[in-house]
Amino acid sequence: MKCPRCEFDQISTIAKSPQAGVWEVYQCDQCFYSWRSTEDPKVADVFKLTKEQIDNLQVIPPVPPLEV
Amino acid sequence: MGKFKVHQDLRGFLKTLEEEGQLVHITDEVLPEPDIGSAGRAASRMTNGPAVQFDNIKGYGPGYSVVTNVHGSWANHALMMGMPKTATTKEQFEELNRRWDLFPVAPNIVSRDEAPCKENVVEGDDVNLFDLLPLYRINEQDGGFFIGKPATVTADPRDPGNFNKVNVGTYRIQVKGKNRIGMQCLAMHDIAVQLREAEKKNEKLPFAIALGNAPLVTFMASTPIAFDQNEYEFVGALQDGVPADIVKADTSEHLYVPAGSEVILEGYIDPRVRTCEGPFGEFPGSYSGCRSQTEGVITHITYRTNPIFENIYLGMPWTEIDFLMALNTSVPIYKQLHDEGFPEVVAVNAMYTHGFTEIISLKPRYGGHATGAAFKLLSTPHAMPYCHNVILVDDFVDPFDLNQVVWALSTRVRPDKDVKVIQNCAGMPLNPSEEVPGMTAKLIIDATTPVDPEPLKRSVELLRDPAKTAEYAKIIADLQAAL
Ligand SMILES: [Zn+2]
Repeated sequence: MKCPRCEFDQISTIAKSPQAGVWEVYQCDQCFYSWRSTEDPKVADVFKLTKEQIDNLQVIPPVPPLEV
Repeated sequence: MGKFKVHQDLRGFLKTLEEEGQLVHITDEVLPEPDIGSAGRAASRMTNGPAVQFDNIKGYGPGYSVVTNVHGSWANHALMMGMPKTATTKEQFEELNRRWDLFPVAPNIVSRDEAPCKENVVEGDDVNLFDLLPLYRINEQDGGFFIGKPATVTADPRDPGNFNKVNVGTYRIQVKGKNRIGMQCLAMHDIAVQLREAEKKNEKLPFAIALGNAPLVTFMASTPIAFDQNEYEFVGALQDGVPADIVKADTSEHLYVPAGSEVILEGYIDPRVRTCEGPFGEFPGSYSGCRSQTEGVITHITYRTNPIFENIYLGMPWTEIDFLMALNTSVPIYKQLHDEGFPEVVAVNAMYTHGFTEIISLKPRYGGHATGAAFKLLSTPHAMPYCHNVILVDDFVDPFDLNQVVWALSTRVRPDKDVKVIQNCAGMPLNPSEEVPGMTAKLIIDATTPVDPEPLKRSVELLRDPAKTAEYAKIIADLQAAL
């Protein structure tokens, strides 16, 4: 299975339906996109991500310098 | 106590909504996507649309429910205030304005045994958000399952015991695992100030997140007030002097949560960690994209038996968020004008996309006075960045009635002299019309009747209501209600 957003191939199952066997929820280990097995996720081109984009996203809020 | 009905929990409010015909139940079995988001969209578009509760969600079964659009109409908003559901927006504005001045009203701290939110506990490895809440994707291009209506409680790490600096705010949450959440802490918000102090020392910032709250708790959590003003003391004021019931969080000495909430998520923000969050359909009616944002860890949950998951729909206005941010944005701005130099201001409507467009109703004393009120508005803390367009109308025009506002634009504006554009002013980056995010021009339209020394060369005789109009409004409404 591949991430519909960034095509990363390591996907975690983060949930199973409380009533057994109805659905599962998957999440990409790289970009955290998540979806339910009953969905047919269609990520718009404008929201697709590459590894480089993920590594260079704006950081909110900025991490302050350490004061030790 | 008081003439207004007060709700200390979501359940009590849902009962009132149901009695008033403002809550409907969907009992057919549905998948969470796209049904729940679709219902939130549809209900908030209806005139006086109801709250919508889903009681049969595929994969969850009995005992689980989701409710959306709880605040999503003027009727529901009026009932939140304990007013008749027919109260006009201006009447609700005036009542809210009166209660605002009751601040502060100290909250009522109840014991753990008395607090419904403590009925059940899960902690450690047993924490699983998906087992507790029917989470779902709200809009198609959202990056995951979001919780859009939390009341997040945090303290100031520099002064944790100071109750006035305990902050209760609404910051969107993206669920990222059974016990992990992404949290948006924008630099302009109080929680970011607190987080910065914790992160400088690489310390965790403890939080307690209340879900499914009394309606005025949610309302207050989305109201911008000063850093050292306590939201619970405001809830008491808005409840017309009835203190908010709160209880100490289980895992933190300094955090207090609403006693009647459906679910309390306790944990901490993981210091100095940022991961990909978003996109999420936001209040301007467009998606906010992916950013690297903070993450929280849930270590301890308390909840009411069969908790009701309350969530929101956001989309192209108007949706529930627009009702939730309408009057709590308008009232503080009104006070900043009326109480600080412009007593001629009668009302302020700052409810279009969180105040991107604002309408001031006033009785100008001299030529150019109304424009001065616009300048004052554009120098107040919220409007300076948010407000792009200012419309000035006379005191007898209800700024919440767009039929009247457009009448004023149509019959009082001479475009050659009454429309002004001021270049290169402060903006609000979430407004997609800003070419450089954070910079904008300001538009001022003066739709008031000219006052001396501004010339008014044609006399205008305003039509007034016939003498018994108010009396007949009531007679007709009562007759219609009895049909
Ligand atoms: Zn991915």
